[in-house]
Amino acid sequence: MRIYDASSEEALRARKLLGDWAGEGFLTKEQYQRLVRDTVSELRTTNIFLRLILFVFTLISVGATAALFVVVFLARPSSQTIGIFLLIVAAICYAAAEAAVSQARLYRYGIEEALAVCSVVLLCVGMQFALFSGSPYSPESLHWLVPAAGAVFSFWIWRRFGLWYAFLVALLFTASLPRYWTSSHSAQHAIVALLYAIGLLWVTAVRSRHRFDYLDGEFSLLEALLWLGIYLVINLQLSSLDLRGQWWGGTRAAFEFARPFYWSAWVLIWALPPVILARGVRQKDRFVMAVGAIVAILTFVSNKPYLGWLRQPWDPMLLGILLAGTALFIQRWLAHGPGGIRYGFTAARLSGKGKYWVNAVSPVLGLVTPQAITPSPQTSTPDFRFGEGASGGGGAGGDF
Amino acid sequence: MTILDRLEHWSERGAISLEQHAYLADLCRREPFSLFLELNVLLYAGVLAFVAGLGWTFTTWSRQLGDVLVLTVLSAILAACFWYCFSRAPAWSPAETPAPTAVFDYVLYLGSLVWSVELAYLESRFHVLSGQWDFYLLATAAFFFFLAYRFDNRFVLSLALSSLAGWFGLTISRWPAQQDAVYRQCALLYCLAVGLGALLLQRRGLKPHFFGTYLNIVANVLFWAVLSGVFNRRGYGVWFVALVLACGASLAWGLTRRQFAFVAYSAVYGYVGISSILIRGIRDETFILSYFVITAVVMLVVLVEIARRFGRPA
Repeated sequence: MRIYDASSEEALRARKLLGDWAGEGFLTKEQYQRLVRDTVSELRTTNIFLRLILFVFTLISVGATAALFVVVFLARPSSQTIGIFLLIVAAICYAAAEAAVSQARLYRYGIEEALAVCSVVLLCVGMQFALFSGSPYSPESLHWLVPAAGAVFSFWIWRRFGLWYAFLVALLFTASLPRYWTSSHSAQHAIVALLYAIGLLWVTAVRSRHRFDYLDGEFSLLEALLWLGIYLVINLQLSSLDLRGQWWGGTRAAFEFARPFYWSAWVLIWALPPVILARGVRQKDRFVMAVGAIVAILTFVSNKPYLGWLRQPWDPMLLGILLAGTALFIQRWLAHGPGGIRYGFTAARLSGKGKYWVNAVSPVLGLVTPQAITPSPQTSTPDFRFGEGASGGGGAGGDF
Repeated sequence: MTILDRLEHWSERGAISLEQHAYLADLCRREPFSLFLELNVLLYAGVLAFVAGLGWTFTTWSRQLGDVLVLTVLSAILAACFWYCFSRAPAWSPAETPAPTAVFDYVLYLGSLVWSVELAYLESRFHVLSGQWDFYLLATAAFFFFLAYRFDNRFVLSLALSSLAGWFGLTISRWPAQQDAVYRQCALLYCLAVGLGALLLQRRGLKPHFFGTYLNIVANVLFWAVLSGVFNRRGYGVWFVALVLACGASLAWGLTRRQFAFVAYSAVYGYVGISSILIRGIRDETFILSYFVITAVVMLVVLVEIARRFGRPA
């Protein structure tokens, strides 16, 4: 099913690990040069920056070519004609993506990825135009076919090319399906959660066979996305569009959901974070642990709106103390273990990856921080704002 | 063949020692599993949330709490942070210096943010400098530069650079809406000052590892400034030439130094700028779409060639 050979992908992974280890000094330069010859792969890869711009320019060329064809060859086309044309272009894009991999051996190169993404987008837009736009006879009950096709095809793209974000797109399409089937908000949330839970069971069953091979990282990400999806669907303060506008005001709109459903979801948003964290810790799975931490923070943040309590200005401060305190506690606890290790975990840096990411993102984070920490005013708070600072650098927001 | 099989094979062949095999196999099996990155992210998020809450609380409740209490709390946090940093820091070195403790960088970052909050509070309540924020920004930038170089901290360096940008009349939030000549000149002056300063410091061997941070920020500000000139209705010729030169320089730097972010800058900013000149005023859909088809394909061919020759995974 997968377009790439397992041996090629495994060789690429080994080559990457060898580079990391040589960079960390775990291997000598001579060893690295000798070993890297054993990891030759016929796949053509590139670095992240070129991959991104190749992706963007492929999107531009496909979009412009399709639009040019419509302008030049299809005079005043009907919706059905445009739809059929887009479906043909989708098929061509998919075939081109397959050819880019099978002929040119591209792997995470941007071009084949953009072609695959275009095929999904054009399929959905084409179906919408061909079946449902401009036709008074289009059956309302079949509108779910577009997101269903999008979900299935995105899933196929993930299976075929191993692009994790295609799986994410499949999840998003899946989330939009139940609104075509029922008008009950509670039922919509329950159906999506159920579908994601089925996906989670499947992923956990499959990934156990790939514990230490090249697919482990990919399945880890999928599992994390599914856990996150389930949480976001269950947390009604985050996933309900109607509630989002009232979120900061701290008012509750529980009437949108059946009362038992609303409170069951509240119980679940407290129950899920420890479950996810425990699973991540047990599996030593970075992505799942990260999602566990994120959903725990989201639970703290959304608890007050859930209960209809007013949010207080010092809430972020308490959250900050909790986060930093937790990090400190874990750090110290691990550091005091024998050799700085407890239960197979350490707070020490074992590879250059962690430091690389901290170094790479710190300038960006430093630049966005002044904007990020500028507080949003709470509409109902009874006080004045002091001064009208013109601008703020280094954290000094103009709001002061 | 998984990586564990390969390690076994390499060990049997004698390509790696038994100790190396054991250590690397353990790393692959995540034994032990490092939480270094996760704990750093938690600390960063904690500091950010804390300072946001602090600012929000004092914005909302300053009258009830009173100036004395607010300033005492802020000063106490500030003093504690800087006491911690100055008492724990190793002797200064011009080379890259690792943080003495795991939380050191974040305590310094907290102190820097609280400094900004306190200055902002002081000025807005007491108008010490009669609302002349520029002086605060310049003083803050200087102070942050000192801290960044003293404690070897990139977070604080980027705060210093953003404060300096504020002093030059730029703030990121205003930038997209304001494309007038004054902002552009300020941006260019900022690029010149920061770029020359970075070059000088690097040549002197003072924290040369900061050079990449400077260069990325300068490149982006420069490209935005030049692009805004290219988008002008009149007098864009000189900006167009500047854009071409900047793209050429960025491309050459990226390829020779294998820093492909600069290749990406030159491709994206260059394409946007040149396209805006070439299709300006043209209303013919066919021409515009043909332009995008041809140029995007040309860009793809050029980029594939660059990737083939230079662009191995970084």
